[in-house]
Amino acid sequence: MINSRLYDVTLRDGNHALRHTLTSKFVTSYCEKAEKSGVWAVEVGHGNGLGASSYLVGKSAETDIALLMAARSTLKNAKLAVHSIPGFATIKRDLIPALDLGVDIFRVATHVSEADVSQKHIEFLANNGANVHGVLMMSHMIDIKGLVLQATLMHKYGASAIILMDSAGYFTPTDVAERVSGIKNALEIEVGFHAHNNLGLGIGNALSAIHEGASVIDGASMGLGAGAGNAQLENIVAATSRESADSSNIYEFLEMSKLVEDSYPNNLPRTTSSSTQSGLAGVFSGYAPQVRAISDELGVDTGVLWKEMANRKLVAGQESMIREIAQDLMNL
Amino acid sequence: MESAPPIRVAIIGTGNIGTDLCYRMLRDRRFEVVALVGRRHDSPGLEMFRGQVKHLISSGIDGLLPFLHELDGVFDATSAFDHLSHWEVLHDANKWVLDLTPSKIGLPIVPVLIGKIPAMSLLGAHSSNYSMVTCGGQSSAPILFAVAKASKVISEVEVSSSIAALSAGPATRLNLDQYIESTEGLISLISGCANVKAILVLNPAEPPVMMRTTINIKVESCNLEEAQANAHQIVLEVQKYVPGYELVVEPYLQSPGTISATVKVTGAGYVLPEYAGNLDIINSAAVEIAVLHNSASGVVNHK
Repeated sequence: MINSRLYDVTLRDGNHALRHTLTSKFVTSYCEKAEKSGVWAVEVGHGNGLGASSYLVGKSAETDIALLMAARSTLKNAKLAVHSIPGFATIKRDLIPALDLGVDIFRVATHVSEADVSQKHIEFLANNGANVHGVLMMSHMIDIKGLVLQATLMHKYGASAIILMDSAGYFTPTDVAERVSGIKNALEIEVGFHAHNNLGLGIGNALSAIHEGASVIDGASMGLGAGAGNAQLENIVAATSRESADSSNIYEFLEMSKLVEDSYPNNLPRTTSSSTQSGLAGVFSGYAPQVRAISDELGVDTGVLWKEMANRKLVAGQESMIREIAQDLMNL
Repeated sequence: MESAPPIRVAIIGTGNIGTDLCYRMLRDRRFEVVALVGRRHDSPGLEMFRGQVKHLISSGIDGLLPFLHELDGVFDATSAFDHLSHWEVLHDANKWVLDLTPSKIGLPIVPVLIGKIPAMSLLGAHSSNYSMVTCGGQSSAPILFAVAKASKVISEVEVSSSIAALSAGPATRLNLDQYIESTEGLISLISGCANVKAILVLNPAEPPVMMRTTINIKVESCNLEEAQANAHQIVLEVQKYVPGYELVVEPYLQSPGTISATVKVTGAGYVLPEYAGNLDIINSAAVEIAVLHNSASGVVNHK
C-alpha cells in the first residue's frame, strides 16, 4: 500500500471531456463502483466547479445540486468532494447549499498567482468545519519560491492541504518532486498533486509526487479530463501495486475505467500533436480547437502560436486573445 | 457654465480607485479635491498627492469630520464593509455620497441610463447615496439595455468580465462575492429578469489584458438589427464619459434564442495603466454622476 490517498476527479475534470453533459444517472452508477474500490474521495460537478455552468465555460446538463445529490446518496465510505473557483462560485449561492447537502471536502481553486482571492471562501468553509483544500491551478507558471508564498496564504486562511495542479501538463517528474518537497519543507501542510497528460507524463508525475511524500494524488478513470486528460487512476493503482507488491483492489478500479470506456467511447482523451505542443509551451490545452482553426485560417504555425501564447502568459478564459496574437505574429 | 463654482469633494480610500479618482479630479476644473482620506501614515496613496490636496488625512473618516463643512460630497472608495459606517456619518452631515464599493446601500446608477429606465433617475435630496455598482455592471448595463429594448421576454442574463490581475486591489480581491451579487442585482434591475449570473476572472496574462465584458441574453425573440443599432448608439453616448468604451463584438445570435455581445474598456491611463479599464469605467461614471447630481439639485452647497 502507498501512503497517498487517491482522489478521483473523473466526475469533475472528466466533465470537461464530456462537454458538461454528465448526468446524475451516470454519477450514481460510477459512485457505486467507486465506493467498492476504496478510493478516498470522489469529486463531482462542472469542470470549472460549483456555480460555473455558464455561457462562458459551458452549460451543465444538470445542476450542481442534482449531481451532488446523486453522489451523496451513493457514497458512504468515500468522501464527496467539490471544486470551486471564487469569481464563479459564491458562498451564499453555492458553498452553503453544498455544505447543507453534506459535501465532505471543498477544494477552493485559484490561478497559481492569485491565492488571495480564496481567503473569504476558505475561511468560511474552515469555520464551518469542512475539510478545505487550497488548489493552485496552472502551478507551473511561477517559480517554487512564489509557489510557497501562495501556498502559505491558503494555509493561513485554513486550508488543510495544498493541491498543485499541472493544468497544462507541462511538468516532468523532476519538476514535480522539487515542488512537492519545496512546499513540504516550508509548511506544515499536506500536499497533493493533480497531473495532466499532455506530454504523456501523467503517471510518471503522479508517482514522483507519491515518492516525494504527497498525501493526495488525483487521477481519473481512463484519464477522463480536460485536454489530454488526467493521470489514469487505474494505472496509478497498477503502478503503485507493482512497487509495493500489493495488488489488493485493482479489479474495482478497472471496473470504474471500463464503465467510463464503455459509456463515453467518443470522449476519451489522448495526447495529440496539438496537446504535446501546448504542454511543451505550458498553455492550457483546452485552446487546441481554436489554435488549429486560427493557424489554418491565417497560415501561422501552430507550434509558434502556442509558444507566443505562452510568452504572453495566456490563461484559461482568453479565447478572444488567440486571434490577436496570431495577427501580431504575422505582422512581425 | 465656466463660472460655476467647483464641486468640493473628499475621497475616502487611497487604493487603486481612490488615487485614480484624486488624480483625475485634480485635473478637472469642475472639481476641487478638498481632502484625501487614508488609514495609514505611510500610505503611498497619500504620499502621491502631497502638496496637491489641501487635507491629506491618515486617520480614516474620523479625521475628516472637522472638515465636513468644506465639502459638497464624498467619493467612497474603501470597502463594502467600511461604507456602512461612512454613510451613517455622511448622511447625518447632509453630504451626497458616490459609493464605489459593492455595498448595495445606495441607488444603483449608470449615467447613460438615467431617464431611460424608470428605476434610474437622479435623487432629489442633497444627501443622496449613489451606488456605482461594479465595473462589470457599468460595462454591461448599456448593452443589456440596448438589446433588451429590441427583445421580447428575457429569461436569462449572464455577464462575464475579465480584468487584469494587476488592476484588482486587495478590497476587490476580498470582495468577489459582493462584486458578483452587486452586479447581478443591477442586471436584474435592468432586464427585469431574476435568472442572472455574473462572473469575474482575474487575468495575470502579460502584457496585461484590457478589461472585457461579454453579455449573454436569452430571449423569446429579438430584432437583431435593431439591437445592433441600439448598441452602437448607446456606446457613442457612453464614450462621452468613458472614451475607452468600445463594442468589440456587436450583438449576434450566439445560439438559438441567445444574443451575445462583448465590450472592451481601455482606461484613460491616469494613475494605473490603460489596461485598468475596470477602474476607469467606474470612476468615470462616478465623476459623471457627481456633476449631474449637483446640477440637478441646483446648488453647489457653498457656505
